[in-house]
Amino acid sequence: MANLEIRSVSKEFKTGKVLDRISLAADNGEIVAVFGPSGSGKTVLLRLIAGVEQPDEGSIFLGGRDVTDQEPETRGVGMAFQNFALFPHMSAFDNVASALTAQNVPRDVIRAKVGKVAALLKIEHVLQHAPRELSNGQKQRTALARALVAEPKILLLDDPLRNVDAKLRYEMRLELPSLLKASGSTVLYVTQDYKEAMALGDRIAVLSDRDFAQVARPAEVYGSPATINVARLFGDPTINLMPVEPLASRTGPKIKIGGAELSLPAGYAHMAGKACVLGLRAENIVVADTPSPESLPVEVVAVTPLNERTLLLLRTDDGREILASEAGTNEAPRRHGPAFARFHAEAVLLFDPASGRRIDLQAA
Amino acid sequence: MSEAALSIKSVDKIYEGRGKGPVHAVKNLDMDVQRGEIVALLGSSGCGKTSTLRMIAGFEEVTRGDIVLEGRRVNQMPPARRKVAMAFEGYSLYPPLTVRDNIAFALKSARTSAKDAQKSVADVARILEIEGILDRYPSSISGGEQQRASLARALVRQADLYLLDEPMGQLEPRLRAVLRGRLKSLLVDRRMTAIFVTHDQTEANALADRVAVMEGGVLQQFASQKDLRERPANLFVATFVGEPPMNVFESNVVNSDRVRFAINNGPTFDFAGGDIPPSVRTAIGRREKVVIGVRPHAVRLGVGSDDARIVSNQWLGDQSHLAMEVAGKLMVAVSHAPIPAKVGERLRFGVSASDLHVFDVGTSAALSHGLEAA
Repeated sequence: MANLEIRSVSKEFKTGKVLDRISLAADNGEIVAVFGPSGSGKTVLLRLIAGVEQPDEGSIFLGGRDVTDQEPETRGVGMAFQNFALFPHMSAFDNVASALTAQNVPRDVIRAKVGKVAALLKIEHVLQHAPRELSNGQKQRTALARALVAEPKILLLDDPLRNVDAKLRYEMRLELPSLLKASGSTVLYVTQDYKEAMALGDRIAVLSDRDFAQVARPAEVYGSPATINVARLFGDPTINLMPVEPLASRTGPKIKIGGAELSLPAGYAHMAGKACVLGLRAENIVVADTPSPESLPVEVVAVTPLNERTLLLLRTDDGREILASEAGTNEAPRRHGPAFARFHAEAVLLFDPASGRRIDLQAA
Repeated sequence: MSEAALSIKSVDKIYEGRGKGPVHAVKNLDMDVQRGEIVALLGSSGCGKTSTLRMIAGFEEVTRGDIVLEGRRVNQMPPARRKVAMAFEGYSLYPPLTVRDNIAFALKSARTSAKDAQKSVADVARILEIEGILDRYPSSISGGEQQRASLARALVRQADLYLLDEPMGQLEPRLRAVLRGRLKSLLVDRRMTAIFVTHDQTEANALADRVAVMEGGVLQQFASQKDLRERPANLFVATFVGEPPMNVFESNVVNSDRVRFAINNGPTFDFAGGDIPPSVRTAIGRREKVVIGVRPHAVRLGVGSDDARIVSNQWLGDQSHLAMEVAGKLMVAVSHAPIPAKVGERLRFGVSASDLHVFDVGTSAALSHGLEAA
C-alpha cells in the first residue's frame, strides 16, 4: 500500500517552475532515493511533503489521507534537513531525545533508543556537547539521529551525509539501510551522489528537468536508463555516448565506428537508417592487443588506475574518444599504442537524439 | 643522485603563529623526484602537502633544510627565477587579459616566435577543451574553466618542474576522467617533471607515477600506487589509501606449528605452518598482539571456517560492496560481480595467507605483506 503519494504536484517560484506535475508513490517501509543534480528541485519536493511549502497544484497523500492543506506539525513527518536546525541551548543528547520527550516516553527507553542510534551514527562521544561544540558533520548526524529516533511513519532526509567526511560517509552508506529498515519508516532520501542513491534506495527517483525522468530499482536505472540524461548521471566514469546510424545487413543491424562494423542486437533492426546516440558503459568494452571478430582498432592514449579498476582512454581512427574500464589493476603490461576494442553488444544502449529517450529493443 | 630534478632535504616548515603557538606544518621531509616523473602529494587538509608545494614554488620560506632544483639550491631564490611553472589557487589569471593572452603571456617573455606561441596555445587549449573561451576574459568564465585556463598557462611554458594544485578539482566527472587521461599522456609524451597536490586518491592514482602520502606534516610513504596498495608502510596508509580502504583488526597471535590470528571477540584466521613463510614468522617474532589487515577485494566469500552476519550488500552497477559484522566492526568485501547473499544472513569468509597484512600494534608499522616481510 502506498504510504506516501504525490499526485501531479507543481511548484513555481519567481525564478521559474521547479516541479511540473510530478507524481510518485512509495510503499510502506520503502526507501526511495531522490536523486538529481543540484538545483533540480529535490529539496523543494521534500519541503512540499513536509508542508513547509505549498504546491501550486496537485495533492499530497500520507498514510492514505490527503494532507495537502494540513499544517506541517499534523502530518506525522520526520525530517533531517541540510541546515541542521538543532536547538542551540540543548545538548546533542537532548536534541536527539526531544521528539521522544515530547511524547512522554519513559526516560530509560529514551536513553536506550538514543544510545542505539548514536552508536550507529558514531556520535556517542559528543552527546553531552552543545551544538556549537560540534563539527558540521557531527551536527548533521545529530539532526539525522533526532529524525530517526522518533520512528516517524514518513521520514524525509535531505542529503543527511553531505558534510560528513568521506570515510565515515562510506561507513554510513553501508549501515544506514538496515537502520532505516528497522525504523519501519517510509523514507525519501535526497542525495546528489549516485553511489549513495544506488546503495540506499529500494528504488531511485531521478529528478531532472522538473519531473521524474525515471523511477526504478537501482540496477534498472543503471543498466536501462530511461534517457541520455539519466545514463549520464550514473556511473564512474560517465557512460560513453556517440552519435551513430545503424545499418541493415544480412546478419542483422550494425554500426560503423572508425572503419569497423560492429553488430547490434537484432532487436535494434528497426533503427536502421535512423540517427541514434549509442551509449555504452566503460566496463562493457574489452580491450585486447590482438584483433578479434568485430573488434575496433583503437589507440590507447592513456592508462589510469581507478579504484581497483583500470581505465583506458581510447581513440578511434575517426577521432572519437572512448573510455574502457577493466576489472583489476594489472596496468603494467599495457602501454600506449594500437589495440583492439570489443563492445559487449548486449549492453549497447541506443537513444533517440531528439527526445533523449532510450530506444527499446523490438521483437523481430 | 644527480638525475633528480628535485631534492627536498630534511625540510621543516614551522609557521610562527600570532598569539598561538608555532605550527609545525612539515616535519623533516626527504624526497627526491626524478626527471620526467609525475608525483602526487596526497593527504587530507592540514597534512602539509600544500605547504610543501608552496616551498618548492618559493612562495613559502623553508624553516630548515634545503630544496635543490636541477642541482641548484634554491632556498633563497625568488619564485620567478626557479624555472618552475605553476597552476595554483591564488596564482590567478590576469583579469585584463583574455584567456588566450593569459596563456600566451608566459611565452612572450620566453621569446617564442608569435607563430609558435599561437600553435602552443591552440594545442593545449584543444587538449583541455577550452578552445571556445580563448577570447573571453577571466571574470566571464566559470571556476572550472578558470582552473583549466590556469593549467594551460602552466603547461605551455618550458620549465624544469611543473607544480599543480588540485588540477582537476572543479570539473564534472566525465570531463575529469577524459582530461586526466589526456593530461597524463601530455606529461608523459613531453617528459615533463610534475608535482601536484590533491586530496583525491583517484586523481593521485590516475596521474602520478609515485604518490607521497602525507599526514600530520610527516611523509608516511612515497611509492607507486601499486606499492601503496599492496605494501602500505603503516596502518595510516593502509586505512587511507584504497576505495574502500583495508579492513584492519587487532588480533592475538599464536605462532607455533600453526599460525593463528584471533581477532578480539571475533573469528580466528588459522594457517598451517607451511602457509606462512619463515620470513613472515620472523617479522612477527614473539609479538602476542598484532593488527591484521585484508583489502576488501581480497576477502574471500563463501569459504573459511567462520561466518558473519551480512549488514549490507550493495550493487553499484559495476561492483558490489558487502559489509559483514566482525568483532563489532564492519568487514567490507568488494567484488566486480553481484554477490548472491541477503542482508541478515550469515556468510562464510576467509583470507589467503598471500593477502594477509600484519602490522605492529604499538608503532603501526607494517611487519609483513602476504608472503613477504615488510
